[in-house]
Amino acid sequence: MKSLNLLLQRLADAGPEFVVIGGYAGVLHGSSYVTNDLDICVVLTRENVAKLRTAFADLHPVHRLTHRKLSFAGYPPADQEVANLYLETDGGIVDVLGDVLGIGDYASLRRHAVEIPLFGRRCWVMSLEDLIRSKEALGREKDLLTAKELRAIAAKRKQGKPENIS
Amino acid sequence: MEQTDPALEEARRAGIDLDLLDSNLALTYEERALRHESALEVVLMLKEARAAYEKSQPPSPEAR
Repeated sequence: MKSLNLLLQRLADAGPEFVVIGGYAGVLHGSSYVTNDLDICVVLTRENVAKLRTAFADLHPVHRLTHRKLSFAGYPPADQEVANLYLETDGGIVDVLGDVLGIGDYASLRRHAVEIPLFGRRCWVMSLEDLIRSKEALGREKDLLTAKELRAIAAKRKQGKPENIS
Repeated sequence: MEQTDPALEEARRAGIDLDLLDSNLALTYEERALRHESALEVVLMLKEARAAYEKSQPPSPEAR
């Protein structure tokens, strides 16, 4: 069953430090757009790659952009560095990025990220302002439209629109 | 006056449903995640239905 929420819970439980980015971060900030993948930013150390393997172990993770859909269980080998991971799992698509266009690396992103309660856990989510910047940096038509929606959310927050963030 | 912020005007011109945003902002993070999950399920079901329909159609003359 596809469930981005399940993937998020697995990540939170497995323990790599991560920040939710992309469309799903938009959803958490109040966007109405539907995204079919979970994007996160992680420092892709060997230790964190091992934690990601643990998180998705029983969800048959594969590298979705490889020709033969290589299993994440066996590739990359423990001693190989990776910059990004583009995975497909039984729970859905997860893209794990080392940095975000328009913002920078994990540390830059984390500086403004917001910690939110979610499913009994705590998750870091890219700030609304950084998300707008990254969407505008991507520059595709759909990203620019999303950025407009996110700017509207920011404006509503500025107006003091009641927000339920418990 | 509420919706006079230029960002709100621009969003409205782009066809963004500002009332829907109000509704989303009134939800908790968890409720937003759950509502999104339901919407995604519908999208995936529609995609599957379209794929099944296209598979059931005879090939077009050009494709023969």
